[in-house]
Amino acid sequence: MAKVLIVGEIQGGALREASLELVAVARGLGGDVVSLVLGKGVQGIAEDLSKKGGGKVLVAEGDALEAYSADTHTAVIQQAVEAEQPDLILLSNTPNGWDVAGKLAAVLDVAAVTDVFRIEADGDGFLLTRRMFNGKFDAQLRASGRTLATVQPGAATAYEGSDAGSVEALTVSGLSSRSTFVEVRKAAAGGHDLTKADIVVSGGRGLQKPEKFDEVLEPLCAALGAQMGASRPVVDAGWKPHEYQVGSSGQVIAPKLYVAVGISGAIQHLVGMKGSNFIIAINKDPDAPIFEVADLGVVGDLFEVVPALVEALKQAKG
Amino acid sequence: MKILVCLKQVPHQDARLEVAPGGTWIQDSNIKFDINDYDKYALELALRIKDAGEAEVVVASIGPDRATQALRTALGMGADRAVQVWDDAFAATDSLAIAKTLAAVAKEESFDLVVMGLMSDDANNSLTAPMLAQFLDLPHVTSVVKAELQDGKVEVERELEGGSLEVRSVPLPALLAVQTGINDVRYASLKGIMAAKKKPLAKKSLSDLGLDAGAVAPKVSIAKLYVPPKGEGAELVEGSPAEQASKVVAKIKELGLL
Ligand SMILES: Cc1cc2nc3c(=O)[nH]c(=O)nc-3n(C[C@H](O)[C@H](O)[C@H](O)COP(=O)(O)OP(=O)(O)OC[C@H]3O[C@@H](n4cnc5c(N)ncnc54)[C@H](O)[C@@H]3O)c2cc1C
Repeated sequence: MAKVLIVGEIQGGALREASLELVAVARGLGGDVVSLVLGKGVQGIAEDLSKKGGGKVLVAEGDALEAYSADTHTAVIQQAVEAEQPDLILLSNTPNGWDVAGKLAAVLDVAAVTDVFRIEADGDGFLLTRRMFNGKFDAQLRASGRTLATVQPGAATAYEGSDAGSVEALTVSGLSSRSTFVEVRKAAAGGHDLTKADIVVSGGRGLQKPEKFDEVLEPLCAALGAQMGASRPVVDAGWKPHEYQVGSSGQVIAPKLYVAVGISGAIQHLVGMKGSNFIIAINKDPDAPIFEVADLGVVGDLFEVVPALVEALKQAKG
Repeated sequence: MKILVCLKQVPHQDARLEVAPGGTWIQDSNIKFDINDYDKYALELALRIKDAGEAEVVVASIGPDRATQALRTALGMGADRAVQVWDDAFAATDSLAIAKTLAAVAKEESFDLVVMGLMSDDANNSLTAPMLAQFLDLPHVTSVVKAELQDGKVEVERELEGGSLEVRSVPLPALLAVQTGINDVRYASLKGIMAAKKKPLAKKSLSDLGLDAGAVAPKVSIAKLYVPPKGEGAELVEGSPAEQASKVVAKIKELGLL
């Protein structure tokens, strides 16, 4: 049975929830589970993980590991792989996870698959399932031999069992990073705080032109007393400032009502709004993934549906 | 300064995609293609460095005949030279094989900076850039949203989650994988397109690069590509736009939000 190495990720001095999700995925495969925790002052985190299903937890400590660096992390994980000889190496599909995954796979010369939500053993390798084409299709990939995978955060429920594992130091010397960490800063916040709004109406690439946000979406926001949000391409194109962006690299919101207009429902967008109390989606494509998380769906041309909705709202309010 | 931009030709964002009969890739014989969105921002980044001083921008792509169009577009936007690599072995390939091949292309000359997109809009792997960096023994940064060249180094901002940005200083030569939205991508002007016709575009085979099919044999293959199974999904409202609208309004009323 497959032996799995979990690479835990520290964020803000704590182990990420996503790392406990990796424990669940690894345990689901039924084989041996070992983990790796790396950073500065992480001994306690390693001990904690060893009691939460992480199995034997290797801990690499040091000043050189205080801030994330692809160079140092690759060197440490490589050493853990050499020591443990796992069949499968699991990381979370986070900015640090995908920054190091490719480099590590190249160093180890192993199969690599990112952002997976299901893994099954298959002969000498694995079958891994993930989205492709920005969410339009699912793909089952066959990886042969030792495999490295990053797992989509939220794809599994964090492991909740308690098991007696152990902690072992992994000594890695001569770590150095060619690039230097300067600081982490918050993107400048504007006055547009979506987290406090009861109703958010977001527009996506389906609106096609920047002026449509004023002509089509703004009247709907006014009729509902809603704040306006947007998907990433709208912000990338400079049609709306970054503070409008809803999603993993924007704001994460949970209003009473979220209306998605011309938004396909890519995972990075869903992360930002799926906790909303009620979701209405307007999209001309009946297969758009947004309809999977919406409570109410309108399949239709937004340029017809939204004006009709504004009219109906005006009438309803009298 | 010499900059390599690696780019991929992918289905156009507005193309209607369907799974091909074999069930392992999309039907791609009759659709429109375009330069991968992430790669356009990477190219723009390189072209701005060129505009600001002395730089030669080389674009490279692994792709079949149709990918020549993507490279010509890049030349039309202002790149100086192009390299296109193809072999039928790439019809079913993986990121590791692509990165090995791009490394062979890059090693034919000496680049101060390699820029590319964070991922491709078709495979969404985000693996090729850090793999290539490893094969070229370069420091790398992914999810780059800002890059400023300074004396012998590049100061970058890397996008983390929830609006956090990490600032890093990277010595040159280096590899950067950029996020979308990093700049305003230019269009190729008519003059640029005319000039592009005369710019060099070298077509290379695997053997030209000292590789063979064995060297790029994939470790990952697509067993099955399919439309995601539908869950319970939303309650759909039927009818004309006006009928749909009145049903939606009734629901909003019911929620007590009117
Ligand atoms: C690291 C990373 C972070 C990211 N962070 C975010 C994030 O924070 N937020 C975010 O939103 N995205 C984010 N993305 C991007 C995300 O993957 C998607 O590309 C993006 O969400 C797509 O935006 P969209 O739905 O507006 O555009 P598209 O996917 O192009 O969808 C447009 C939709 O409009 C519909 N449409 C078109 N015309 C009409 C019409 N006339 N009437 C009705 N419907 C119409 C289409 O059917 C389609 O479904 C991130 C990506 C990465 C890799």
